[in-house]
Amino acid sequence: MPIQVKLPELGAEAGDEATVSYWIAQEGDQVGEGDDLVEMLTDKANFNVPAPCSGKIIKLFVAENEVVKVGDLLCEIEPSS
Amino acid sequence: MDITLPRKQRVPLPRWLKKELPSSPEYFRTRTLLKELGLQTICEEARCPNQGECWSKNHATVMILGPNCTRTCGFCSVPKGPTTRVDPEEPLRLAEAIQQLGLKYVVITSVNRDDLPDGGAAQFAACIASLRVRLPETKVEILTPDFQFSLERSIEAFQDHLPDVWAHNIETVDRLSRKARVKGSHKATLMCLKAIKERYPQVPTKSGIMLGMGEQEGEVEETLTRLRSVGVSHITVGQYLRPTPHHMPVKEFIPPERFEAWRQRCAELGYTAIECHPYARSSYISSS
Repeated sequence: MPIQVKLPELGAEAGDEATVSYWIAQEGDQVGEGDDLVEMLTDKANFNVPAPCSGKIIKLFVAENEVVKVGDLLCEIEPSS
Repeated sequence: MDITLPRKQRVPLPRWLKKELPSSPEYFRTRTLLKELGLQTICEEARCPNQGECWSKNHATVMILGPNCTRTCGFCSVPKGPTTRVDPEEPLRLAEAIQQLGLKYVVITSVNRDDLPDGGAAQFAACIASLRVRLPETKVEILTPDFQFSLERSIEAFQDHLPDVWAHNIETVDRLSRKARVKGSHKATLMCLKAIKERYPQVPTKSGIMLGMGEQEGEVEETLTRLRSVGVSHITVGQYLRPTPHHMPVKEFIPPERFEAWRQRCAELGYTAIECHPYARSSYISSS
């Protein structure tokens, strides 16, 4: 079962949105738990979203420069067994 | 019909403005407690980028005297709106909450209350009094308005309940004050800080300035010198970041090296407590 990675709560900007700055990981990449997947941009900070588990990136759901909301699906990872 | 307003583009930020996502259990504990206790924080209202870090360390700056401000400053996201009745239960509730949060160092701030005859000073004093009774070990810092319409009376309200540190922010250089700070000015801020120091010389005073609004370096120097001349000993210098695309734009991102140079300059000017880096904020993990 693939793991869905969603935009987590952003602290002070909770409930708000962020812009996808760039994808550090690409479809097909192997990532380790805690590896940075994507850099997001808000009005006051850049921040990276880390991988919740080790595995292979199956699909990216949002493009760079796209604006996403907290809870929106960013990508899916097939966890390594 | 669905009408979508044109979206204002988010401006890319330089690499050094990077933060970790809040993830620690302490962060979520602080958040849950604040919500349960119905406390308002400037951390949230100002959309502070340090919130994850501070809340993870059990540090928060609480805001008293209601959610709405009587001024609409161009850099600030605290809403302007009808003010609420001063709540006589607030000092007790506050102390209860601070006890539950387990804070050893608390910062209390407020909205501007130009509608009150003392600008809200008595409520600040009542909150300090309440904390002193319940938590005599906890240090209390206050971050107050300029009390420009009631200065003498407001300062007198604190005579029996003094804070450990008294802060009031100058925010920007003189030339940009008119644009950035509704009713606020260097004159009002310096008068306030001077009056506090003269009346209560034993209380350290603190102020803060944001860089990147379009100020010149000479103007920053002048601001720092002016604050020292009225006895201010604690200073914070940070990067202005607009809270939303509808607030004053950032004119310049000041690199960390410039902040380091300002830190050295502050030390030369005789400041004894200095926070000087892009994410320095008035109440940034103040216990350090």
